[in-house]
Order: sequence, then C-alpha cells, then structure tokens
Amino acid sequence: MAAHVDPLVMGRVIGDVVDLFVQTVPMSVRFGIRDLTNGCEIKPSIAVDPPAVQIAGRASDLFTLVMTDPDAPSPSEPSLREMLQWLVVNIPGGADPSQGQVVVPYMGPRPTVAIHRYVLTLFQQKAPMNPPPALAPGSDAARVRFTTRAFSERHQLGLPVAAMYFNAQKEPVSRRRNCGGCSTTSAGRWA
Amino acid sequence: MAAFPSASPSPAISASTWRMGSLRAALPTLRPSPAGRLRSSFAPAAAATAASVGCLGSFSGLAPVSNLLSLGAENSSFEQRLFSVDARGRIVAMRHGRRVPKLNRPPDQRKALLRGLTTQLLKHGRIKTTRPRAKAMRKYVEKMITLAKDGSLHKRRQALAFIYEKHVVHALFAEVADRYGEREGGYTRIIPTFPRRGDNAPMAYIELV
Repeated sequence: MAAHVDPLVMGRVIGDVVDLFVQTVPMSVRFGIRDLTNGCEIKPSIAVDPPAVQIAGRASDLFTLVMTDPDAPSPSEPSLREMLQWLVVNIPGGADPSQGQVVVPYMGPRPTVAIHRYVLTLFQQKAPMNPPPALAPGSDAARVRFTTRAFSERHQLGLPVAAMYFNAQKEPVSRRRNCGGCSTTSAGRWA
Repeated sequence: MAAFPSASPSPAISASTWRMGSLRAALPTLRPSPAGRLRSSFAPAAAATAASVGCLGSFSGLAPVSNLLSLGAENSSFEQRLFSVDARGRIVAMRHGRRVPKLNRPPDQRKALLRGLTTQLLKHGRIKTTRPRAKAMRKYVEKMITLAKDGSLHKRRQALAFIYEKHVVHALFAEVADRYGEREGGYTRIIPTFPRRGDNAPMAYIELV
C-alpha cells in the first residue's frame, strides 16, 4: 500500500457520514491519557465520559461538534444509521466543548454487535446558533436515524472542517468458572 | 545518489560507506507514523521526516549491512516491508508462484479456520483479525455472497455446507438482493490497523462493503 489513502476515506467515513472535505482546523481528541488517531480501537469502558477535544482557532470562531455512530445497530445492517452520541454547538475556537452549549448530552459508545465506528465531525459556524433545549438524558429513541449531512444542510454549516473516527467493540465479560469441584466429581463418575 | 553537499572526508570513503540519507532518499516515500498523522495531514509531515533524516546522515560510521536490516525491521506495522521472512526462516522478497495462502496450518484446520472466519464476518459485518487471514478470507466471503445472489435451492444448500450457522445463511440469502444487487464483486474491504500487542502481528479490519 504505497499510496497515501486518507484514513477517513479508507474507513468509509467520507461517503457514509460526510462528503469529501479538506481539513482546515486541527483537532485533537483524547480519552483520558489515550490520544485518538483515525481508526484506533477504544474500549467502551474508558469512553464513558466525554473526551477532551482540543480545537485550534481564534476565539471569535464558533464550532459545532457532532459525534455519531454510523453502524447502529450492526455494521452489516445499519438500519438505525447514525445514532447521535453527542452534539455541542457554539464552541469558541481554541477551547473544548465544555465551553459550548450541549444540545444532546454525551452518550458513551455502546456497541451491541461487532465493531462500530464512532465519528466526530467538526463544523465551523458562520453565526451563533440558537439551539433547542438540551435533550433529556433518558430519551435514547430520539437519537437514531440522524444524518450529519442533513443536519449541516439544515443549519447551513457546509462541509466539515475536521473529522476523526475510532472503533469500539463490546468488551467480553470475563467468565470465571470455578472448576475446582467439577473435575473431581466427573472423575468419580467415570470410575 | 552519492553526491552530497555535507562534508565528506574523501571520495574513496564516501563511495564505500552508504549514508542513511541516500538510502532513504532512494526508497519510495514512506508513510509518516499514525500518531503524527493527525496534526500534519499534508505537506508538513514530509518536511519533518526529511529534516530528521538529514541529521542521521552524519553517522557515516554505520556499516551498510546493518542499515538494511534496521530499515526492514524498524519500519514495521504500516509500511511495506522490503523483504519478509517465511516460516522456514528464509528471506523472500517476492511472491512468485504462490497460489494458496497456507496460514501455517494443515489443510483441514485451514478450511475450518476460513469457514469460521467467514461465518463470523457474515454474522457481524466487521471483524478484526490478522492481515494475512483477512486477505485469505476474501475469496470465501465473496463466494458465499455470489451463491446468495443466485438464490436457488442448490446454492443455498452449498452455502449451508460451508457456513457453520444456518440462520446466518438464511439471513444472507434474504438480504443480499437489495444490498449487493448492483455491485459486481468486491463485497469486502480490508482496513489495516495497529499491530497486536502480544506478538506484533499486523492486524486488519475486514468488513462487508
């Protein structure tokens, strides 16, 4: 693989979630001490809290951050395509999303089946947005069938300025089977 | 590629010792490390690696043989290796005449492995496995999807003979028409990823397109 294929194209983020764009604003995402790179694997247990997102830019710029899961409920059947995990608007440049207005509170990755991609898209706003009141934490049903493209068109956000994705899969529950007594009883039966 | 602006002691010495910089310059451009990719997605990455190579070029005392070996070993994971080492320990750089990936297993185990991997991919849609296994699997996954596209009873029974779980087969036959109806071949995609921690095996995600 000598050609430099952009990891966003390789992971089909461009195509499924957003259109081809040129990254203009550097963005860095961090879960705890773990820096994200495109396509890296993150355990859902460390992604329970919202990540620390550092957005470069002047304080006069406003950004919108959208985090979605395009593989809900399963990558082979994405019928609930694009489950919205997090939506923050009016983030000033050079800050992190805690300084913006949260429209949809952060929901950690919860991949039920197989490996899901989670995409963080950053748009630059032309004007401060007036968001609807923040979604109640219990309403998960309202998050499904979200489309990032339609969202950006509805609010005239244009093409994204930065995007990043990571993978997450369900952590296997470790089963501890106490086999200390089993072997002796089975041996006794065979004898 | 022997001419260099930096100070070389004498023409005789510079002809015999290879500079790291000339070696790197002769090679095709290598991808920058994934951690640095985020900040420097375009031109700045190339400039940074070139600057670091320039200061390495001053170590002319290194023997050329160790240059080559270290070059093959250090640029692991994402970049193409210059050569590979097969199971017998021989260094081979080409793939002449190799038709079947053996996956270091006897034929019965190999078939079982590929059957299992295909079943899991068709069930989950995306799995993570080693890169050679993902590349070997493609043929069988696409064969199964082609069987499903045909849809007749005979093909269904052939698919049932290969895939371990029958509900996966039935689900595949039901939905393949709307999913892959227009697509001619190329139903899978392989995305390489970070190597595995325990044995540094190159991993890849394989997914149904």
